[in-house]
Amino acid sequence: MERKYIILSLCLAILLSGTQTAKAEGDSALETYNRAMFGFNTTLDDYVFKPVARGYRAITTEFIRERVHDFFANLREPATAINHTLQGNLVDSGKSVGRFVVNTTLGLLGTFDVASGWGLEKNKTGLDATLAKWCVPDGPFIVLPIFGPSTPRHTVGMAGDAAADPLYWANYYASFGEDWQRYSFYYGLTALGFVSVREENLEFLDNLTAGSVDVYGTIKSAFIQNRLKLNVCADKNAENQTASYDFDFDEDFDE
Amino acid sequence: MKKIFAVLFSVLMTWSMTANAAVDGKKAEDFVKNLTQQGIEQLINSNVSEAEKQARFTKLFNEDLDLDFIGKFVLGRYWRSATAKQRADFIDVYRKLNIQTWSARFNEFKGKHFEFLGTESSKSPDQIFVNTQVPMPEGQPASVKWRVKETNGKMRVVDIIIENVSLAQTARSEYTGYIKKSSNGIDGLIADLRAKLK
Repeated sequence: MERKYIILSLCLAILLSGTQTAKAEGDSALETYNRAMFGFNTTLDDYVFKPVARGYRAITTEFIRERVHDFFANLREPATAINHTLQGNLVDSGKSVGRFVVNTTLGLLGTFDVASGWGLEKNKTGLDATLAKWCVPDGPFIVLPIFGPSTPRHTVGMAGDAAADPLYWANYYASFGEDWQRYSFYYGLTALGFVSVREENLEFLDNLTAGSVDVYGTIKSAFIQNRLKLNVCADKNAENQTASYDFDFDEDFDE
Repeated sequence: MKKIFAVLFSVLMTWSMTANAAVDGKKAEDFVKNLTQQGIEQLINSNVSEAEKQARFTKLFNEDLDLDFIGKFVLGRYWRSATAKQRADFIDVYRKLNIQTWSARFNEFKGKHFEFLGTESSKSPDQIFVNTQVPMPEGQPASVKWRVKETNGKMRVVDIIIENVSLAQTARSEYTGYIKKSSNGIDGLIADLRAKLK
């Protein structure tokens, strides 16, 4: 099932990167799709994720939520370690491996981040950042169902990182219980991960929505700008490029 | 290794800056230092009423942010076709909305502080970036760059760039996108922004 999903998103990403040239002239079709999907996600969020996230906050203490957060952050550690290696940062990769070992054992399955206290600070990375470093183009902005704002490279990155998730492999190879029990366990945990992230962003997204007359436009712009910091690939002309934020205030460019 | 590069980079940056920049980097950095210090001491860590905090923030915001300049940029090409009244109305509601949005977020900054990392020159001769970072409870610190403009010796913030996201650019995308889609143009935008005010 998960494998199917990963293959599907890879296909989708490849398909979409082909439409990249259409960006300048025919952005409107993609924009129409994006806005529709954004609307769908917002409705889903209003009726499902947000109420569930609020409920989750109501029935848990901050201590418990931190343990849940740390548990899922620890599951991301193998992806971080692999990608630090792919980016040539062996020291960071070693630290990440150390974090995973220490936190999985002494940190009780990752629920406590003891490694940070030992100087092994969290330094998250992923396949998306690796691909950016390898100069793989990002592609156009696209809104995915449920997952939200993304780009083809970002989607591939998420799928790749998900494949390095120990939970995924545990589910794949585990032999305990019946199939349905393992699946409920796996999907239950995945859902909890989702709810945990949504809970952490409750105020942020509420504030953003409260002050914006076009939430889609705001999120799209911020998402794209934020991603530009990943694009540090070995470009020979790098020194001739100005930072994306150093735009000319008097320039009358079109949006 | 990365750290060495970062230090080297900032040294080179400061050097190239002092060599040809029009804005005094030290002065700009002191200006932002003073601004963040006031913000933290008077708003975030002080025990005054919410109303008093709001009043203090409004004063700080109006004095140290060049909102006329930002507002003009934010409306993009629609600024030129706007009437004097539309321009004034837009700046007014944009100011109020910003004050409202940011005052709601004071608590997020509780216990946080800014670390200053020097300055970075801008293509625009009267402007400069003051680089800061905010240590986070976990992971890497968040990068915050302050774009400072000097007009007749007076320094003002014209943009804040958080994790590479420019607030001016984001607002511009939002507002010009809105006007492009809406049939009521700038008046519609002003009305909708007013509706966001509490």
